Amino acid sequence: MSPELFAQLGDLCRDPAAFDRLKQILADEIHPLEWQIIQANFQLERQKALFGVISRLRNPLDLETIFQATATEIRQLMGADRVGMFRFYPDAHWNDGEFVSEDVDAAFDSAIATKIHDHCFGDQFAVHYQKGRVQAVADIHNAGLSDCHIKVLSQFQVRANLAVPLLQGEHLWGLLCIHQCRTTRQWQDTEIEFVNQIASHLGVALQHAELLAKLQTEIIDRQQAEQRAQELNQGLQQAVIELRAVNKELETFSYSVSHDLRAPLRSIDGFSQALIEDCVEQLDETGNDYLRRIRMATQKMGQLIDDLLTLSRVIRSDMQREPVDLSRLASQTCKDLQQADPARQVELIIASGIVDRGDSRLLQVVLENLLNNAWKFTAKKPQAKIEFGMMPSEPNMPPTYFVRDDGVGFDMAYTSKLFSPFQRLHSVSEFPGNGIGLATVQRIVHRHGGQVWTEGSIDRGATFYFTLTTEELIK
Amino acid sequence: MTERANHKVILLVEDNPDDEALAIRALKRHHIGNEIVVAHDGVEALDYLFCTGMYVDRDIVNKPSVVLLDLKLPRIDGLEVLRRVREDPRTKFLPVVVLTTSSEEGDLLNSYSLGCNSYICKPVDFVQFSEAIRQLGMYWLLMNEPPPV
Repeated sequence: MSPELFAQLGDLCRDPAAFDRLKQILADEIHPLEWQIIQANFQLERQKALFGVISRLRNPLDLETIFQATATEIRQLMGADRVGMFRFYPDAHWNDGEFVSEDVDAAFDSAIATKIHDHCFGDQFAVHYQKGRVQAVADIHNAGLSDCHIKVLSQFQVRANLAVPLLQGEHLWGLLCIHQCRTTRQWQDTEIEFVNQIASHLGVALQHAELLAKLQTEIIDRQQAEQRAQELNQGLQQAVIELRAVNKELETFSYSVSHDLRAPLRSIDGFSQALIEDCVEQLDETGNDYLRRIRMATQKMGQLIDDLLTLSRVIRSDMQREPVDLSRLASQTCKDLQQADPARQVELIIASGIVDRGDSRLLQVVLENLLNNAWKFTAKKPQAKIEFGMMPSEPNMPPTYFVRDDGVGFDMAYTSKLFSPFQRLHSVSEFPGNGIGLATVQRIVHRHGGQVWTEGSIDRGATFYFTLTTEELIK
Repeated sequence: MTERANHKVILLVEDNPDDEALAIRALKRHHIGNEIVVAHDGVEALDYLFCTGMYVDRDIVNKPSVVLLDLKLPRIDGLEVLRRVREDPRTKFLPVVVLTTSSEEGDLLNSYSLGCNSYICKPVDFVQFSEAIRQLGMYWLLMNEPPPV
């Protein structure tokens, strides 16, 4: 109550004793009210400060900006000498850290970026802070603090210290520190509560920052992955271009083979035949035999060139994938074989309705080669049997087809050789052929993503199995 | 051979002298006695057909009964010859048989696209080659009715 008001009241009350009494009563009455008003004002300011912190949290500001603004606000509101955000170094077991943000009275040193080591903190205090402990020290020299703790605080001229935890989720990230440097200071409960509230809001900001950091890492990771994918893609495109060029060259090459290699053969064959026709009188039987051998050899080479061309066409031709009736292809091939060699007695067993996806022209080459082989290698049997069918299906396995014969078979020791070009297991005089057929079959099957393998034994026939899909695709 | 067929000309477009000799031999042995004109490349073939260059004095009305056309030729290749023959109204109906070593799908497709009348792949086996030439001669000189002049 103002002295002027007391003077006015004194005029009204002449009895000094009564007046003193009156003054006392009034003072008792007014004092709490004044205190309440101060408290309410403080409360209001605190709410404003809190609101400021929360508003900043809503805006996409960086942690540093939020910390700085908050420190300034708290220091003003509480009349403190320094407000700082202290951060523990990750993995330092809360023994080491530094102030990352600060607002300090110009009369005192800045605590920013000074490395602080307090070897007794981690063991003794971290656990408690993690659980929300607050340290409110009115006078650092009269609070029973450890020497190392006092040393750390004195370094920054601290006389009274209020430290509340900054938690990132449940992890003790750092401390929000309010320092009084000029004097000691008794921290009020309301002040402590206020600082606690601010700290918990800053905790939200810390979590946001952590999420943001994770997100940014993820974005960078993705960008890097994208970059890598792009590089890979470029490499792939380059490879495709190179492959195209190689294919083109191969095409030109096989065209020359097809044209230029056959022409001289035709000359050799043609003029040998001309000799046989025109000079039969001048040549003896041996001479004629030699000419016949020349013709045989040239024709064989002609066939070889044709087969090699088929093989190279198989490798480079474009592939279509469409449903193909393998049973029909097999039947047609067998019919052709039977017609070309009607004297043969062969039992043909062709399973019906076998359809798979693939290139019909290439699959026809596969079946022709396999069935031709079966036909050829059963030639010496008076009653032969040739089968085309499908193995019983197994879960997660591609359908397996087979061509089986009961002909001369082969020694399993040589199976690895069977699919290489020009490899033969029988002499040409025994069974004709040039060893390109199975190589072609294998290339076609591989181009479909399938496998081809064989089983057989001498004089007990052979079975060729093939699939047209990769196992991975089935799974 | 009938009178009608005999004075008809076969234009053989062939750069390989061996193939030329063998083709002529095959025709002779099958008693196809028609005049055989040989052009050794695409330019000579076009000169003959359009009466230019060394054939400038030839009468364009006298068309060959059939052209046996190799594809791989020096200077102008067979496909180009075929294209120009089909483009010109005077020769667009001329029977052209492609007679080549190539069995490449591309060559077949191009030849038929440009309008060849037939496509024969020369076999290595001379007996088969000879037979192919005989049948060609018989068909195009005797059986086939040529387009009106």
